[in-house]
Amino acid sequence: MSSLHKEKRLLDITGAGDPGSLRTIREEEQNRLGAILSSSPVIELVEDLNELHDSLILRALKLAEIEMARLGHGAPPVPYAYLLFGSGGRREQTFSSDQDSSLIYLDPQNEADALTFENYFQTLAQITVGYLVDIGYPPCEGNVIASNPDWCMSISAWERKLDSWFEEPNWENVRYLLIVADGRLVGGDEDLGARWNARFYRDFLGSPVIARRMMENTLRHKVLVGVFGQLLTERYGELAGTLDIKYGAYIPMVNVFRLMAVHAGIKETSTIGRIRELEKAEILSSEEAKEAAEAFELFLLLRLMAVTKDENGQWAGTGVIHASKLKGEWKVPLKKALKLGRKLQRQVEREMRYRFGGR
Amino acid sequence: MVKKSMLAIGAMLMLFPTMAFAAEGDGPSAATLDMGLNALWIMVAAILVLLMQGGFILLETGSTRMKNAGHVAGKTIFTVGLVSLVYWAVGYGFAFGGDASESLNKFIGIGNFFFDPTIVAADGESYPSTIFFVFQLAFAAVSLSIAWGGFAERAKLSVYLIFTLVFGSVIYPVIAHWIWGGGWLAEDGSQDYAGSTVVHLTGAMAALAATILLKPRIGKYNKDGSANEILGHNQVFTSLAVLLLWVGWFGFNAGSAVAVGDGFFGYVAFTTQLGAAGGAVAALLISWLVKGKADIGVTLNGALAGLVAITASCAYVEPWASVVIGLIAGVLVFLSQAFFEKIKVDDPIAAMSVHGAAGVWGTLANGFFAAPALVEQVGVGKEGLFYGGGGHQLWVQFESVVVCGAFAFAASFIVLWIIKQIIGLRVTEEQEIIGLDLSEHGNYGYPEALKKSGTASL
Repeated sequence: MSSLHKEKRLLDITGAGDPGSLRTIREEEQNRLGAILSSSPVIELVEDLNELHDSLILRALKLAEIEMARLGHGAPPVPYAYLLFGSGGRREQTFSSDQDSSLIYLDPQNEADALTFENYFQTLAQITVGYLVDIGYPPCEGNVIASNPDWCMSISAWERKLDSWFEEPNWENVRYLLIVADGRLVGGDEDLGARWNARFYRDFLGSPVIARRMMENTLRHKVLVGVFGQLLTERYGELAGTLDIKYGAYIPMVNVFRLMAVHAGIKETSTIGRIRELEKAEILSSEEAKEAAEAFELFLLLRLMAVTKDENGQWAGTGVIHASKLKGEWKVPLKKALKLGRKLQRQVEREMRYRFGGR
Repeated sequence: MVKKSMLAIGAMLMLFPTMAFAAEGDGPSAATLDMGLNALWIMVAAILVLLMQGGFILLETGSTRMKNAGHVAGKTIFTVGLVSLVYWAVGYGFAFGGDASESLNKFIGIGNFFFDPTIVAADGESYPSTIFFVFQLAFAAVSLSIAWGGFAERAKLSVYLIFTLVFGSVIYPVIAHWIWGGGWLAEDGSQDYAGSTVVHLTGAMAALAATILLKPRIGKYNKDGSANEILGHNQVFTSLAVLLLWVGWFGFNAGSAVAVGDGFFGYVAFTTQLGAAGGAVAALLISWLVKGKADIGVTLNGALAGLVAITASCAYVEPWASVVIGLIAGVLVFLSQAFFEKIKVDDPIAAMSVHGAAGVWGTLANGFFAAPALVEQVGVGKEGLFYGGGGHQLWVQFESVVVCGAFAFAASFIVLWIIKQIIGLRVTEEQEIIGLDLSEHGNYGYPEALKKSGTASL
């Protein structure tokens, strides 16, 4: 896409005064990107799409701040940071991703401040999340979202929370750690974001066995390719004959590279970025990195194609593609990519077992 | 301890001096003892085969839904009762009656209707005819219960009644006569030791005819043609069922030696175990490899398929061959289940795959694996292709599968088609949805788990 168009889009977004016009911009842009989906390089397209999402979210945050002022709450009392998790954190949102987010603010100095800050930022988060819903981002089903008080707190409260998850790595806490491992600052104070990030990596390096727990939490999602190289499609029901691209191809790959990257102290959150960094750190050979990136690229493309517009014109992601709709020329690379995913999954599993023992 | 026993025996001998001479005098003859031992073994085998009905009850109930549990389980008891009466009155006479002329006897036996046996074994008989009758009856009942798989969860109770009458009196006895009762396939040397064709394929063909005429259960297929999985309500029942059937199969196969004699029935039991084992193992592995998940239902069906397949060949093949036959049966049942689902034949209990496909395979397997020494031991047919027998035995086996399968299918289809025209085969849509427990019997098999009133919510 031309940089001219990008600049114009950014101007439109920063100039938009309400969620409704942001939604219109989003729809126009998504229609444009959807139309060129199969004819353009997917990594660039995903980058472009995620830049769009980022600027929309940032603008929604700004509008929420303005609304707070209009309601008489004034400006933010202290710096704060707005984080994205999940696919947003990884810069891999599709046309229909939901919101996974958190809000962090600077510590209050006394109890009166504590209450004021809490009130201000929780209201701000609620307004922001509401605006984003209006723009077409449904809230996270697991309630990992800034409007939930559990995910909107001061930086030291957040640090304590991270510490407690690392200290007590039960299934649920490890799940949270996997979510926040993809955390990325999208708006607000960069120092706060960096401080939060540093705490996560400090804790992680202090308890390396967490890596094994994180791996175990992700093994549930198997790569959907059989020993004969056959695609393991859904056998029954309305989705019979479909391949679960999201959980049978994309997510296992995301999990593998998240684990490898975090383990190596790499702070990049996008999967492609992680692969590149792993190559730089010589954990992956350039050949492995190339294969992995190609495989992941295909999964990203198929995942974008697994999104359709429903009868109301709303983008809806099913995450699945009917095997008969896969283009012939994709089948060979897809099977190759899936086999690579399976191989990597086993490799990580073996390595963790070697390092920390089996269970 | 030893001292005390010696003392006791000494005292007994002094009190009852004749005990020391019990072996002499006019005790039973060797022939009587031989007959008695045979009788005992066949009786035990008959009881084991009858107990297989417990397996069918659990298998069919476990593989279907809660709302039909009482019906599915209870109707088996009813039909076992009814088929016993029918087989006594007519069926046994058509299968084993010896009064038909030579040419008629090729196709059907006549005589022994309303079977009235001698009360003890006659001189020269190797077992009492009463026990043989009970044993054969148990086989007929098994074949019938196999057929019910194709009726499950949607046929009317009255259809079970009418079909039992026809199946127990004509369809099953005719095929039993062809292969076991001195009919034309017996003359050709068809090898079906314990009934892969006679019992299993016949039952499966009736099930196929039923399921074609009944059509799939509500909710099995979607509008776009994709299938839904209608899971059975209790996998523990189904597993126990397989174990019951497996144990009962020792009566089924080893009992078919109908003699204790030189202990050949032990060899039959031995190959039976190997066949079943091969089926169970192969089925789990193939489902694991192909679908990525090891399927319990397929594993259970694999064990049964191994048993069904080895039923024809248990007395004719060497140990390695019985393992191979079982392994192939396990893979076959997996593929067959997928095939029937694809062609939209809704077979809730997998009767067609377990008893049909594996029954065909087991019967054909003799054409490949029948070993000369064993053929000589049993005295039926010739050795198979892999032992230099050429294609002869394979052709005979093929012929008996095709002819018996076609007859059983055609006869069942005609009977059921007529029933369908006259009174209908299937319960109404509403009855099917609320469940046959309620519609046919008035009470749920699991009354606490399912509410009788409030059907409006359906």
